[in-house]
Amino acid sequence: MPPAYCRRPDPSRGARAALFAGLLTVLPGLAVAGDGYLDGIHHHTTLASTVPDNGDQNPYAIAIAPVSAGKIQKDDVLVDNFNDKNNLQGLGTTIVDYNPTSKNLSLFAALPRHLEACPGGVGLTTAMTMLQSGFVIVGSLPSNDGTTATKGQGCLIVLDAQGKLAGVITSPHINGPWGNMAVIDNGTTAILFVSNTGFGVGAPADETPVIKQASVLRLELSIPPGKPPAVIRETVIASGFGEQADKGVFIIGPTGLALGAGGVLYVSDAIDNRIVAINDAATRSDSAGTGREVSKDGLLKRPLALALAPNGHLLVTNALNGQVVEIDPQSGKQLYAQWIDTDKAQTPPGNGDLFGIAMTPHGEGFYYVEDDMNTLVLAR
Amino acid sequence: MRGLTPSLPRRASRAPAFGRALVLGRVMTLACTLAGLLRIASALAQTLPDATSAPDAGQGAEPGFFTGLLAPSRTYLLNDMGGLRTSLGDVGISLGLQETSEVLGNVTGGVHTGADYDGMTEMSVGLDTQKAFGWEGGIFNMSALQIHGRNLSTDNLDNLQQVSGIEADRSTRLWEMWFQQSFYEGVADIKIGQQSIDQEFMVSQYSSTVFMNMMMGWPMLPSADMYAGGPAYPLSSLGVRLRAQPTRAITVLAGVFDDNPPGGSFYNDSQVRGAEAWGGAFNLNTGALWIAELQYALNQPALGDMAYGDRSPGLPGTYKIGFWYDSGFFPDQQFNTQGVPLVGPGNTGNPLMHRGNYSAYALADQMVWRPNGESPRSVDLFARVMAAPPDRNQISESADGGVVVKDPLPGRDSDSFGLGFGVAQVSSALADLDQDIALITNHAYPIQSTETFIELTYQYQVAPWWLVQPDFQYIFNPGGGIPNPLNPNRIIGNETVFGLRTVVTF
Repeated sequence: MPPAYCRRPDPSRGARAALFAGLLTVLPGLAVAGDGYLDGIHHHTTLASTVPDNGDQNPYAIAIAPVSAGKIQKDDVLVDNFNDKNNLQGLGTTIVDYNPTSKNLSLFAALPRHLEACPGGVGLTTAMTMLQSGFVIVGSLPSNDGTTATKGQGCLIVLDAQGKLAGVITSPHINGPWGNMAVIDNGTTAILFVSNTGFGVGAPADETPVIKQASVLRLELSIPPGKPPAVIRETVIASGFGEQADKGVFIIGPTGLALGAGGVLYVSDAIDNRIVAINDAATRSDSAGTGREVSKDGLLKRPLALALAPNGHLLVTNALNGQVVEIDPQSGKQLYAQWIDTDKAQTPPGNGDLFGIAMTPHGEGFYYVEDDMNTLVLAR
Repeated sequence: MRGLTPSLPRRASRAPAFGRALVLGRVMTLACTLAGLLRIASALAQTLPDATSAPDAGQGAEPGFFTGLLAPSRTYLLNDMGGLRTSLGDVGISLGLQETSEVLGNVTGGVHTGADYDGMTEMSVGLDTQKAFGWEGGIFNMSALQIHGRNLSTDNLDNLQQVSGIEADRSTRLWEMWFQQSFYEGVADIKIGQQSIDQEFMVSQYSSTVFMNMMMGWPMLPSADMYAGGPAYPLSSLGVRLRAQPTRAITVLAGVFDDNPPGGSFYNDSQVRGAEAWGGAFNLNTGALWIAELQYALNQPALGDMAYGDRSPGLPGTYKIGFWYDSGFFPDQQFNTQGVPLVGPGNTGNPLMHRGNYSAYALADQMVWRPNGESPRSVDLFARVMAAPPDRNQISESADGGVVVKDPLPGRDSDSFGLGFGVAQVSSALADLDQDIALITNHAYPIQSTETFIELTYQYQVAPWWLVQPDFQYIFNPGGGIPNPLNPNRIIGNETVFGLRTVVTF
């Protein structure tokens, strides 16, 4: 298990150029902002229950496998669980693997509740990605009682392609790694973006204060052949977002991250009900604060996860209803929203259900989770 | 509920007469219990952060039974049941276990005053056939009931619209046992087996989940006019039900069931006769109950619907109309087979039997206010009316309605406040028979008319698994105006009822 990693060597100009090349590779068609995407989505198919044998609940993050490695086949859908079998938040320890071809769901990784190197233990969050090297990196914002009253600082957990623990990343800049992970992956190097919502957060109360300490951290990784990723630089590129402990949903803070054209990182700012942009996300050396506001209010109802559609538009899931909203990030215009969860058990339907969202490999649809039903759904 | 032939004596109450002092004492005890429970619930809720950070929840400790006891995410008191729920869930089996307990007491009116405890334990097992063995779209469900305690409506009130929807004869019984198969991605489904139709037909979403009075669930009219009250809690019948959703807004329900779960004659249809004592009569030898319902959903999103920022989504509502026809035989409420009133000298006691019975109904659930589209707070109205022919039915019309306020107080997102009413109209044939009695006996005799109640209730959701509900009901003209069996010269006085219900989901 590697220790916490804080070295900060400067990457070369060549490495920076390679990072941009990687960005353009993984985000085809970003410059094209044409017609809407969601009005072409008509079918919503429940694919599988995401509950593994240990009973973990509340599926959060979704990551699409870029390669076949170990237990994972290319284009598999990885989903992690935030809650344990008793539905206590921040105690989920499992990642499941859905194979779209066989339609089977299997257990990819089952972590112990406590990891010595991960302060507070394991409670897997919406931050998860799989690298081309086969490693899976997932965030932990742990609790011992289902609330932030007992939360730990957490960490990023590195798993190999067999689902075995390969390392733990901690740092003073990592506290409650929470939101979707955006990634620029060049194979032997990669850049991760992750939001942190744990700084200064205490126990939830009836009127918990909003704390303006949430941040977005950029981690530059080196991935030597056959070895787990190692952090070579970390930079806080955005900070000052609101975060708030909550009795019902554990914590409210910046959750969605998505990379767009021109090196812009989009962030869903849940507390202020808006989407913001961080310019030069892959290269800037300082914090952009809370960035540039792209779109606010309107159809946004506490925005959570973000994904970039093939037309360059952002898809944003709402926490407070069962809708996904489409936004043109260039103009900030909200085109429309689509109901993707109409569960009447909540008011309004789908309230509090939507977390992870990820585009299918060819962009013809997107995967999402319904955390009340513990299911993975495909929209196309 | 059941109409009574004049030739049969009205059932004497099984409860002993209580002195007023004793009654007041019971009511005081009830009130104290109610207040005490609410205090405990409130205190527990207020100490939620402390409760969740109890000693066993400290850093590094493993969560225990009391960890997150009242957390919003705790659906079941017993959580995972030591791994049982997860193990069964792995093979597609779901377990349900719920206890409803209540104390109800009348401080005025009725045959006499007093209080009763009653309760109901519901157990259910569901099977998702896709998860169990790969059969897509199939659900098997079986449920059982354990009904305990005494019934205030029977013991003290002698009213029509029972003050609690769970009041029933004490028994341990099979309730439902059916298989449902869906088609075309859930656009249509078919359900076959032993079914309780009050779970799907005539249901008002606002009233049935909030109020305690029976009328707010399965209405008064079918309760009185169908054999044994119809295939409704705690009974069920063999049958087939189809559901289809031709458009996103329209749903059609249609089914045919045996009309008489216990299988006895109309006036001998006890819930505990023969094999029906445990819910196993599976009767198919009487009439057929055909029922159909058309539902229209207003402003309710369907999967894939688009929403636009410049268009208000509108307030949701549901409107339903329905009709049922029963092919069985039904006794005339006034005349015997010779066409003379069912009272007086020479009466054979054999009522004229009519072939068939029918009724039409309509109901509306409509939200009328909410602060914004994302708020759980709302004001919702509901109304339901129905009618049946008066010659063969005890109740010819019934209606209920009211208002429900969700999230009524700050920080009480899951609570509900309700104010409702119900009216049951005794049929003109029964009223005519009362007049016949007066004529024949040459004595003043009360003429049955309407019974009305109002209900005021508050659902305090202590945790998702625990509900506490204080309740108040006032019943005008109980039984529609019938003599008090303990004092036949007077009709039963208006009744003031207080209650406290608690529901625990294990």
